[in-house]
Amino acid sequence: MRRPALLDDPKRELWLAWYATIAFYTLYTVVFFIITRTQPPGKAWYTPTQVVGWFASRHEGLLIGFGLIFILGGLSATSISLITYSIRRMSVSRVFAYSYLIIYAVSAVPGFLFICVAMTVGAFRPGRDPEILRWIYDLGFLSFSGTMGVFLIGSLIWMVAILLDKNRVFPAWFGYLNLCNALTEVVVAPSWIFHTGVFAWNGVIAWWINVVVFGLYTGAFIFLLRNMILREDFGTGPLPDLLPPEGRGRMLAEFMSP
Amino acid sequence: MVENGFNKRIFVAWLILVAISLVYLWIDHSATHQGIPTASTVVTVVAICFALIKVRIIMREFMEVRGAPRFLRRLTDYWVVLMAIALFGVYFVGIAVA
Amino acid sequence: MTTTERAVSPVPEQSPSEHVPGGRDIWFFVLFESLAFTAYFCVYLFNRTQHEQVFLLGQSHLLLWLGVLETIVLLTSSWAVASCVQHARAGRYDASKREALLTAGFGALFLVLKVIEWVRLIHAGHTFTSSEFFQYFFFLTVIHCIHLLIGFVVLGVLWYQLSDQKRRSQPTVEICATYWHSVDFFWVLIFALLYVVR
Repeated sequence: MRRPALLDDPKRELWLAWYATIAFYTLYTVVFFIITRTQPPGKAWYTPTQVVGWFASRHEGLLIGFGLIFILGGLSATSISLITYSIRRMSVSRVFAYSYLIIYAVSAVPGFLFICVAMTVGAFRPGRDPEILRWIYDLGFLSFSGTMGVFLIGSLIWMVAILLDKNRVFPAWFGYLNLCNALTEVVVAPSWIFHTGVFAWNGVIAWWINVVVFGLYTGAFIFLLRNMILREDFGTGPLPDLLPPEGRGRMLAEFMSP
Repeated sequence: MVENGFNKRIFVAWLILVAISLVYLWIDHSATHQGIPTASTVVTVVAICFALIKVRIIMREFMEVRGAPRFLRRLTDYWVVLMAIALFGVYFVGIAVA
Repeated sequence: MTTTERAVSPVPEQSPSEHVPGGRDIWFFVLFESLAFTAYFCVYLFNRTQHEQVFLLGQSHLLLWLGVLETIVLLTSSWAVASCVQHARAGRYDASKREALLTAGFGALFLVLKVIEWVRLIHAGHTFTSSEFFQYFFFLTVIHCIHLLIGFVVLGVLWYQLSDQKRRSQPTVEICATYWHSVDFFWVLIFALLYVVR
């Protein structure tokens, strides 16, 4: 990758946003999976006593981890903005970009911040009534997993934009991957019904398979956003192709290029 | 094979697919003893095999993989094999664990 | 092998070429979605082996012949869309449009049969939550139907392409057909796993 000469590079803001995106997703992964251990999610069938144990074993992690999110969580704006920018660069109407921006900005509240607030509240007073604690636990996980509808529509908007786009900002296969991602949001919907089994919010189908698809999808768009920035010519026409890198990466780049 | 626009090959493919679908009725009939449902590894294996054969026929004939570059022909075949391994693998592991 | 081809520029029939039907992108989608479905199937099969009786009991409430009928209907719709692509490639757009309509028609018939089946099961007391088997049954059939409904949108795009001389794009026609075939072969697998597997 070209090392940008920061002061001269017209793309420096784009790179800043891209690195901030990487920082955000790293923060997200470390906080949710390692510090707070709220992902993989707690079991949906826990009794109030078990929920008390769940909170107790994560007490410091929850407070510190989500404290970090409350300070740095605004970084989530960078990935949304960069994607919005990419949609603006397309030949399609700006309506797509603005709808995407609004939907994802809104969805960050139930789909991301709610669980942070809920779990912090739960951890805040360890002596809380177990029934109330379980209520908070349910609120946190259901809001996180269950508010998928917003992401679904957002994915579809991005997909249609990509498929209609004449500027070849993103390859068509990624447009279709948005459809796969949107469909996995549908798969999570049963988590509102089931306390146990594969469709519970921690179930094999509703969580594990979903998270694999989501992880691949996120990895793909981070990679493609990078390609977009490299190709960006600040015009309004089709983006030029990326020069294939030398060596082993070449064949893959050619297969994947739009 | 193309006469007045009617492609005989895909018609034959369709006939074969329909025939295999009808065979399922016979499999089921021979596997249900007096209306009591019983587990059967043989039926499961045969059912999945037939399904994968149909998938391959659909890919080759309907989806025109037959006339596609070698990498796609190979890739789709590997995919069918992958699905077979996954399905049979999980099934037999499950039986062993139960 | 003799052929009576019309005096339209004949397309070399099915000789191996560099042409990926529909292009690599739609195939990426088809193969990726196959993996997702295979993952769901594996979860289903595994749980089936762990709770045999529940699954067998639930399955016994299904009508196999209805499932076979649905399968044949969808296979026929797939045949129609495959013919549609070939007619379009040879410039026979009227025939192509007729086949596209047949595709949609058979697809709609499948949907009707499915809904009838669901209503019948629900009236008999078998719902999404009534047993583990029916959790999987409704999940897989509903997710498949969602793919089918998207397929109707795709067929709409196909029709739009075929109906105007200026718009026609064979690659887009092939992309739409490839998507539709995937809906068909997903059903082939779902049918075998839900209705036949013991």
